[in-house]
Amino acid sequence: MQGFQEFLNRPKMQKFRHIDYTNWAVYVVLILISYQFMYPMLRMLTMSVMSSDDIINPVVNWVPTSLSFGNFATAWGVMNPSVTMVNSIWFSGLLAVCQTLVSATTGFALARFEFPLKKFWFFMILSSFILPLPVMLIPRTMMVFNIQDTLGVQMFGTIWPQTAMALGGQGVFSAILILIFYNFTRMIPTALDEAASIDGASSLQIFYHIILKLSVATLLVVFLFSFVWNWNETIVTQTFMRGTGIPLIPQQLSQFESVFANFAGAAQGAEAGLEQERINEAFRMSGTMISIFPLFVIYLAVQRHFIKGIENTGITGV
Amino acid sequence: MTKGNTVSKAEVLQTAEISQTGEAAVKSPAKAKVATKRRKASYHSKRQALAGYAFMTPWIIGFLILTAWPFFYTIYLSFFAVNYTVLGWNTDFVGIANYDVALLRNPYFVPNLISFVIMQVTYAPAITVIAFILALLLNREIKMRGLFRALFFFPVIVMSGPVMNQLMDSGTMTSVAISDMVLLNMVAQFSVPVANALIFLFENYSVVLWFTGIPIILFISGLQKIDGGILEAARIDSATAWQILWKITLPILRPIILVSFILTVVQLASFTMNPVLPMIQDAIQATTSGLGLASAFAWVYSLIVLLIIGVAYLFLKEPKYIVPPEIKMYKKPGV
Repeated sequence: MQGFQEFLNRPKMQKFRHIDYTNWAVYVVLILISYQFMYPMLRMLTMSVMSSDDIINPVVNWVPTSLSFGNFATAWGVMNPSVTMVNSIWFSGLLAVCQTLVSATTGFALARFEFPLKKFWFFMILSSFILPLPVMLIPRTMMVFNIQDTLGVQMFGTIWPQTAMALGGQGVFSAILILIFYNFTRMIPTALDEAASIDGASSLQIFYHIILKLSVATLLVVFLFSFVWNWNETIVTQTFMRGTGIPLIPQQLSQFESVFANFAGAAQGAEAGLEQERINEAFRMSGTMISIFPLFVIYLAVQRHFIKGIENTGITGV
Repeated sequence: MTKGNTVSKAEVLQTAEISQTGEAAVKSPAKAKVATKRRKASYHSKRQALAGYAFMTPWIIGFLILTAWPFFYTIYLSFFAVNYTVLGWNTDFVGIANYDVALLRNPYFVPNLISFVIMQVTYAPAITVIAFILALLLNREIKMRGLFRALFFFPVIVMSGPVMNQLMDSGTMTSVAISDMVLLNMVAQFSVPVANALIFLFENYSVVLWFTGIPIILFISGLQKIDGGILEAARIDSATAWQILWKITLPILRPIILVSFILTVVQLASFTMNPVLPMIQDAIQATTSGLGLASAFAWVYSLIVLLIIGVAYLFLKEPKYIVPPEIKMYKKPGV
């Protein structure tokens, strides 16, 4: 460092002295890491427009010889987004609404009321986050089987098991959502509650008219997180939605190969064996792109809120 | 000073007298007042408790039925053979047979478990350290900070099992062929396990990076909450940036390091990319007969996850600063 300073002090180097070299180094490091971060995404982007020849051509690395958007047409047919994507959107939306409501009431209760065993329940919320899912999944499965048998109603492959979980506050990463809400509610001055309760408002009215109406932005953040996590959730979904009448887009993506084989076979039959498409990375990447497209759009629109939401969990110390 | 003292003392005495006489003179009204106050307080706290529990009810019911009871019931089930019959669930006590199958007879479970532990032990610290370094870089006054932050957070949104599997199967996750590197071969000369761990880490380097999204945000907001006065004082005492990092920043951020480490462990544990989870899932899917074995799998798996979190907690929790006895000794004559 000393040597570098002396080097900069030379008369010829005077004009470079005002540049902040540390920051430049930081930029270089950040850009390199960003490249590494985005590498799978960039690969996906270029591979999705490559033709089958480009995929196996060792000379073609980043830039395809020709753009073939036909991949997307095939992947669209395999993924069937007009059904799966719509399903995913309303199902994740439904679960997110339930989860948001429950985390709002729970966060409100923890932030505003003093009740016995409060610390215990708080600890339980945190520990429910740590416990791995499979431990809970087996008795849950048995429970759903029991309900199915006693009521004589089909439960597997319907929305009800997961909706019940969301309504019971045991959905995906519920603890984080509760923490976000808890911390936001604590930032609202209690004077508002007190004024309302002096005017005769019940705690339900306080919750609705003061807390919920003041935390519309937080509700949105919690909803979006819940939506995205429910969308990406596969373990619980695969257990309760197997053999389902409601195909969802991540499940469709995980079955891409088998569905593709069927699809290509059908196409082959239609065209009397003219040209059979074989699965390759180009189709897979196009399918993957289609499946993450809605999430990408959401992120572009409300990226700031996502980051704010994590900052507001309060686990970083108030 | 002394005057004020006496005055206040006198006042105190006076008021005490008054209150005593007052209490003696009109005993019942004062007591009644106190009683109503107490009743009001208890009424208030009762209302608070009632309202609190009313709002907590959905979560508590959900927790008891869907998390607490299943947790213990899984332990119970792991000692039983579970069969699904026409009449419902049928459980037969088999002792530790399920564990015997899981740990000694099943050819895949233990190796998968070991590679899961290796994954946790290499990935989780690497993710935490990289997230911390990135947070340090992003905490500087640089242009396009928001853009970089948004870029690093993006994977959190799109990361799901199927997407990751597709990306990894298509070979998009490996940008460098680490196993061909000379340096790695040199490491392998000394110790093969270390080399294997390195291969494991760098083969899916982008995966490691993708888990840093949330920890980076946590670290940045932690860094911004550090009191600037402390850093300034350290600089005035001619501490270098390196010393400030180790003696001030890291100790202050210790709780956040713990939180993001646990978060990473939990995320890795609930991610289908790890080798054990698909296995347990398959065992659960074999509903009609295999749930006892699946319980044993799930319970061993959870025990290991909790163990990793416990060890992390022991290492990273706030240490108790015990004052050495000699310091007390030196202090005594001064007092």
